[in-house]
Parts: sequence; structure tokens; C-alpha cells
Amino acid sequence: MSGGYNEIHPEPTTFWSKYIFSFDHKVIAKQFLWYGIFFLGVGGLMALLIRWTLANPGVPVPLIGNILFSGSGGVVPPDTYAMLFTMHGTIMIFYAITPILIGAFGNYCIPLMIGARDMAFPLLNMLSFWFAFLSGAVLLLSLFIPQGAAAGGWTSYPTLSTLIGSPGAGQTLWCVAIFIFGISSTMGAVNYVTTVITLRAPGMGYFDMPLTVWGLWLTAILNAIFVPVLGAGVILLILDRVFGTTFFLAGASATSGSGDPVLFQHVFWIFGHPEVYILILPAWGIVSDLLSFFSRKPAFGAKATALSMTSISILSTLVYGHHMFTTQMSPLLTQSFMTLTMTISIPSAIFFANWLGTIWKGSIRFDSPMLFSLGVVFVFGLGGLTGLHLGTTTTDLFLHDTYFVVGHFHYTMAASVLLGGFAGIYFWFPKMFGRMMHEGLAKVHFWGTMIPLNGIFFGMLLVGYGGMHRRIYNPFIYESLQRLIPVNNLITTSAILMGFFQLVFVYNLIKSLLSGEKATNNPWEVGTLEWTIPSPPPHHNYDIIPVVKCGPHELGNPNLKTGRDFQYQTEELVQA
Amino acid sequence: MNLLKMGVSAGWLDYFRPPENISTTAHLIDDLFNFTTVMVTFYFILVCIGLFGFSYLYSKKRNKTPYYTYGNKKQHLIVTAFIGAVVFLSIDLNITRIANNDLVNTFWKFPDSKTEKVLKVEVMAQQWMWSFRYAGPDNEFGTNDDIVTNNDLRVPVNTKVLFHLTAKDVIHSFFVPNVRLKVDTIPGRITRVWWEVNKPGKYDIACAEMCGTHHYLMKAALTVYTEEDFNKWLASSSLIAANTNDPQDANLAWGWKWEE
Amino acid sequence: MSTRGRSELQINLATNIVIISMAMLFATLFMGYAIYRSSAPVWPPMGVQRVSLLLPSLSTVVLFISSFFCYQVSVSTKKNELSKGHKYLNLTILFGVGFMVLQGLLWNQMKSSGLFVSSGIFASITYAFTWIHFAHMVAGLLALLYLKKILKPETVNLLTKTSSVENFWYFLEIVWIIMFITLFVF
Repeated sequence: MSGGYNEIHPEPTTFWSKYIFSFDHKVIAKQFLWYGIFFLGVGGLMALLIRWTLANPGVPVPLIGNILFSGSGGVVPPDTYAMLFTMHGTIMIFYAITPILIGAFGNYCIPLMIGARDMAFPLLNMLSFWFAFLSGAVLLLSLFIPQGAAAGGWTSYPTLSTLIGSPGAGQTLWCVAIFIFGISSTMGAVNYVTTVITLRAPGMGYFDMPLTVWGLWLTAILNAIFVPVLGAGVILLILDRVFGTTFFLAGASATSGSGDPVLFQHVFWIFGHPEVYILILPAWGIVSDLLSFFSRKPAFGAKATALSMTSISILSTLVYGHHMFTTQMSPLLTQSFMTLTMTISIPSAIFFANWLGTIWKGSIRFDSPMLFSLGVVFVFGLGGLTGLHLGTTTTDLFLHDTYFVVGHFHYTMAASVLLGGFAGIYFWFPKMFGRMMHEGLAKVHFWGTMIPLNGIFFGMLLVGYGGMHRRIYNPFIYESLQRLIPVNNLITTSAILMGFFQLVFVYNLIKSLLSGEKATNNPWEVGTLEWTIPSPPPHHNYDIIPVVKCGPHELGNPNLKTGRDFQYQTEELVQA
Repeated sequence: MNLLKMGVSAGWLDYFRPPENISTTAHLIDDLFNFTTVMVTFYFILVCIGLFGFSYLYSKKRNKTPYYTYGNKKQHLIVTAFIGAVVFLSIDLNITRIANNDLVNTFWKFPDSKTEKVLKVEVMAQQWMWSFRYAGPDNEFGTNDDIVTNNDLRVPVNTKVLFHLTAKDVIHSFFVPNVRLKVDTIPGRITRVWWEVNKPGKYDIACAEMCGTHHYLMKAALTVYTEEDFNKWLASSSLIAANTNDPQDANLAWGWKWEE
Repeated sequence: MSTRGRSELQINLATNIVIISMAMLFATLFMGYAIYRSSAPVWPPMGVQRVSLLLPSLSTVVLFISSFFCYQVSVSTKKNELSKGHKYLNLTILFGVGFMVLQGLLWNQMKSSGLFVSSGIFASITYAFTWIHFAHMVAGLLALLYLKKILKPETVNLLTKTSSVENFWYFLEIVWIIMFITLFVF
């Protein structure tokens, strides 16, 4: 059972200790949230610049083109384009999704949902944020240096990412920023794993934890193990760039000696594949809980879902080679990776079935958190299934490095995580800020995101299958791709539309923060521990550490006599 | 931005098809892609029926009393396990089997130049150009009668072509969409691919691995000749090569000894 | 904040996760090394001399002695003989610094025999490993200095914190031994 102490300590009083260098997980969570939303905006803007260029090559970007690209008459030049898609990927993965889903929700939800007063190591928690901040600063700095930021793709393959392909400090700063971010991630992972294991309230066994906590916990475990692998790879790349080593150099241009460029790909994807599961696990957890809450019945097969998420986490470590089929690894490796990749279908199908089982025969309330969660079921279903085309070696030989891949990972990584993240924000906003967000605007935001999103990413699946390869400044110099111009335009139009609707979210966020309707303790009427205390919670969370007596999804029990249709986790389980 | 044109044009099915299939082996990939698509569409439709159907049938208005179950009764576990097993057996095992078969019996079955008629081509990828080398009349690579072309690959129809590839500077990837195959070209290594085209014409070759600012410009032309036209071209190119190849020219000297 | 109590489990868990994390970093380096070495026709590569075993062996002995004294620190702490503990801790730190000095001498020796960090894969991997290990030794040293600060009777969870630092120090020792065997001996 759990170990640590949970004393109440005095609240901080100064501005600096309350808001800047706070040790309070709730404040740190909000710091990560603003940080992540800021970078989401930067990454999103970069995406729009990319899409503008693809739909209107040679045409100046409206409004901001002349400010950003004055040297080329407002048009995005090819080298800047390469930098844009590199930084878009880097920023979205490490500086938007990770801070929002893992930094913000991890920090906010874990202690509250397990009945703790804070994380196991509050100082470490604070340091984790400030290391992430430093990393973001280094990355943004790299945008302004003379030779520009890294431009070799977020995957940063050598030898393009060595001095052969990327002279200048931008790529080196990218490596440094990633390494610093890795330190932040590892600190966070140590904290999350230890907190979940040792600070669960009395009575809360592992299968009494909400699935949100499961998702965040599994993410942290994968983070602790695999982020250092990327760290090692990035150190070796820095050594190549700064100290003249040749770990990843080879070929005629490698005049100073020889190493193995493909080794970087192995190292990168040993990290990279678990990383994509790291990014999606919190969203899976959140959706699993929210589908139950808004269907007013227990999560169907909750234990099986937790175990499926666990087995996917384990399997994710064994499949990385499916990113490297075109490097011509040995037949044994190639076939093994393909077969292992296939096995991920089984636990995925199981928790999908459980999601549908949860809403089956429910009494569904279509509040915005629920709409977004249902959206995740749709987009992850679609995106996940396209993974089968890519996991199969022969079809991958055609689809690799085409827009089919881009469509696939955006459906699973961007759409699912974004929708899951919004579901989480709309759901926990009342708890975090003591106010309700405007539900009407939230619904507008949902449809304005959901519909264009499918236009963008399904369009990408189409043009990818049509043969359009990726990371291309102007695809239409290839005659065979010109028939795809209308689809390409649809993608860009959808992207602009979707971008516009995010402003509805930002407006709603600010308006609700300033003048939203005051929230009660439990506006969604659910039984997990965080809803037993005021919105927002006091500094020390729980006056008395709760004692857990039932699971997190006790909804719809016909024998309840309290007038509510749910039980708090602190209430004795009423037998059905 | 021709959104309207999309819906009105009769050719919208154009957007759902891959590039024209010109090779003897592309159908394997297309068929497998289609099989996978049919299977996943079937399951996705089931998911959507569940998602939209349940959302409709079990909204708060229509169903006031939810069914209180943990989904861990024996019959629930059996259904869930059954779904997992059916998906795995029907899609995953099938596509793995088919792909393995195609890899072992076709894509990894490199033609043996000693026993069959094979055109051998060496490929050098660099920032930002494709260079192709034919062995010339002496059938040896790296000699002075080699025919070297830039961004210009010419092959005869109905003949297996075997490529040995490398890159000079960064990783590139030799992608011929109409053949459905790509293989990375890696500095310091030689990779291989073979294919056979059965339709003459002019097609695109692209680079499918980010290789720098002008990655998008790394376009080459694939010209598929009839046998007769190819031999004519080869003969005249050999003549030109023999007369003009300068042994001191470093740009021509990138060939290597062909090893099976 | 420093008076906050921590359970033994939390400290041990956090220490073990940190060790696993760092082990993964070194494991990646070992994997890379294995691949370079197995794909090289001969090792060390043609024309490259092996590093003389004297300094690495001396380093191994010195680090081992340091670990032995580290063990004595926890033995003393368990018996509540804190002044003895401080004595052994000083020796641990001394020999730890000794190891680091020997590393510096090793690098000098390599440079004077023409082996710079950019002198080919053999030298590069040796420097990469020893530099990264050295960086972790610095962290370990800071942990030992921290232990020196808290090695007093009023510290809560003193035994757990001591064994925590001790385990980290042993981890660094074990990584070095594997490095010694695979980089220098074989």
C-alpha cells in the first residue's frame, strides 16, 4: 500500500512563491498549461504557413507575410519551409502535447484523483517546469540565429542533421533544447511514478484509480525508461557536430571518418515509438473515464482497459523498426517488427470494445467533454486502423514518407490528443479555476474543430495514397501529382477553418477565467475524489485524507438511496 | 481553391486512386492495400454504428435509466476477447501472411544476372540530383565506357531492372510511385531494389527522404522504352560515352564494382 | 520545505527510477558501441593503438576503494556511529575525486599519444563514454556532498537517504566496470 506522509504545510505568501516558483502541483500544472497552449499556438501558426505554401506556392502569405518573410516578398522560401515543418513537429510533440497532457493534466489530476496533498517531490516538480521553460527558450532562440533553426525534420536523421547537411548552430541548439527537455521529462516521470505508487489514499488499490491516472502513470513509466535513449542519441549527435566525432557520418562527404547514420534511426525510434504511446496514453485514460461519467454508468471492462493500456505500453517497446522498413534491415528484423506491430491490434481492439460498451445502454449527457471524448473514439479509430497499412512492410514500401503517414499520425497523435486534451480542459476547468466555461461556445468549438480536422487529415490520407511524398516545398512540379491539387486545397481550407475555430476556444477560455459562472464542488456529478472538495481546491487539497471505499466509476447503481445517481469514492459501495 | 469543382467534377474518384500501375509487382501492393482497406473499413463502420447508434439510442432523452454493469461478467469478457481475437485473426494475421509471402517470393527475390536477363543500374543520390550508371559494352561498372545520366533513368519494358544504390552526402530515398516501391539510399552503404515495368511511357521519380532545402526539386524522369528503342538509346549513349568520358572528371567517377 | 517527511519507499523508489533512467542512457551507448565494434573488420581499427591499461586499471581500483568506503558509511550509519560515518564519507569522496583526477590523466595520455575525440570511432567512443560517465560522477559527488551535509542525528530517514546515495555510487561503479572491461580490456 502507500507510503508517504501528507502533512499540511503553510501556504506561500509572496508573489514569487505563489505564482512563479511555486511548489504546489496545481500551480505548476497551470504553468504547464499556459506554456503548452502558447506553443500550441506557435506550432499551429507554423502549420498554417506550411499549408498556405502548399496550396499557394509563390503567393505571399496574407497579413503577416511581409513581416515574417520580408526578404522574399512575403513568400515562404524553401529553406524556411524546411525549418517550419521541423519546428512544427518538434514544438507540437515536445512543447505542446507533452506540457498540456502530461505536464498540466499529470500534475493537476494525479494528486487530486488519488487523494494526496501534492506530488511526492514538490521541489523536483518545480524544477521540472523550469527546465522545460529553459528548453523552450533555447528552442525559440534558435529561430532567430543567422543560419536559422534546425531544418532536417523533427526526426533529425543524420547525415542531414550533422554538419554535412546542417551547418550552423540551429541544429545544435535543437539537440541541446531536446536534451534539457529530456531532463525535465525524467524529473516529472520520477515524480509521477513515485506519487502514484506511494501516495494513493487508504483504500485505493490500483484498480480503484481512475483510468486517467492509469494513462498518466503508464506514460511516466515509459518516459523514465525511454527518454534517456533519445538523450544518448542527441549527445552523440552533439559530439558529431561540435567535437568532430563521426558516430553518424558515412559516405563520400564524410571526410573525417566513418560511423553509421542508420544507428541514429534505431536509437531515435527505440525512443520514438514508445514516445507516440507516451503522447496518447493520457488521452486514452481521460476518454475512458469521461465516457463513463457522461453515460452515467461504470466504465465497461475498466480493469481490462487498464490491462490493455499496460500491455500496449509493453508492446510499444518491441515494434520500433516499422519506422525503418525502407532502410532495408535484415529480413529477420523486418519480418519480426511487422509481426510484433500487428499484435498491438489486440489490446487496442479490446479497449475500443470497452469504450463502446461504456456508452452502450447509457444515459448520455452530451456536454462538451463528452462530445470531445466521442470525437476521440472516431478519430483514433480511423487513424489507428490506417496504422495497419503502414505496419505491413510491403504496403509501407509505397506509403512510407508520403502524406499517408502524415495523415495517420495526425489522426492518432494530433487529432486524438487534441480532442482528448480539450475534453480534459473543458472537464477540469471548473475544478482548476472555480468557474464554468461557456457550454455553447464549447460546442461551437467542438464542431468547428471536428469537421475541418477530418477534412485535413483524411485529405492527407488521400493525397498520400495518390503518391504525394512529404516534406515537399512544392509538390506540383511533379505532373503525376497535379490531379491532387483540389484535395490539397481542401486540406488547406480545412486547416485555416480549424485554426479560426481555435480562437473560439481562446475567447471562451479568457472570458470564462474572468467572468465565467461560478462552479460548484461537483458540476459534472461524478464520484472521483477531486470532486469532493471545493472548486478550486484549497492549497492543501484535502482537509482530511479521504478513505476510499469504492471504484471511480460508480454511476447508475439502481440501489442508491441518496437521491444522486452516483457514489463518491469515499462512500461505502452499495451492492446492486 | 476549387472546393466547388471537387464536388461537381465527375472525376472525383480520381482522388481515391494511387498513381497508374506500370509494373509487374505493383498489383501485389495495391491488392494488399485494398484488402486492408476493405477490412478496416468494415470494422470502422461497426465502430461508427456503435458510436453514432449508441449516441442516438442512449441519449439522456431516450434512455433515462442506464444499465449498471462493470462489463466484467463472463459474457462481457468473452465478447470483448472475441472481438480482439477476430480483429487480429481476420486482419492482422492475414495481411502479415500476404506481406511475408510477397516479400519472400517477390520483393526479396532479387534476379540473378547470371541466369536471367537483368539490366543492372547503379544509382547515386546526392543533394539534389539523381545519377544513374549503366555498365556499358564491357559490362563492368566503374570503367570509362559507363553511361552516366543525371535525373534521367531509361529502362526497357518487360525487363527486370536491378538497382544498387547509395548516397553521396545525406540519406535520400529512391521512390517511383508508379512502381510502388522505394528504398533509402544511405551514405556508406549499398541498398538494392528490383522491378520490372510493363508499360512504356514517361513517369516521375522522387526523393522520399528529407535531404535539405531542395529535397522537393530532386525529381528525375523515368523513361520506359520498348526493347528496340532502349537498345538504340543504349548504343548511341555508349558511343557518346566512349568518346566524351573524361577519366579525370571526378563527377563521373562515382561508380563501384558491382557485387551481387 | 526541508522538514517535510519522506517515507523510505518514496526515496528508494525515486532513486531506483533515476538509476534505471541513467542505465538506459548508458545502455544506448553500449548498444551503439556493440554495433560499431561488430561491424568493424578489426578492432581496434587499423593503425589505432589500444589505450595503455595502466590508468584505466588504476581508476578501477581507486573507484572500487571508494565504493568500499561508501559501504562502510552505511554500515556506520546503521550502527549510529555518525562520526565514523563522516570519516568514511570523506574517504569515499577523496577516492571519488581521485578517480576523476585519474580520468583527467587518462585523457591527457590519450591526447599525447595522438588519440583525440575526433580521431576515429575507437577514440570517439572511448571519450564519449568516459566524458558521460564523468558527468554522472560529478552528480554522484554532489550527492555525496549532500550526504555529508545531512549526516547528522536529527535527519529524518537518514538510513534510507544514505543507502540511496550509496546505491547511486555503486551504479556509477558498475557502469565503470562494464566500461573498463569492454572499452579497455577486450
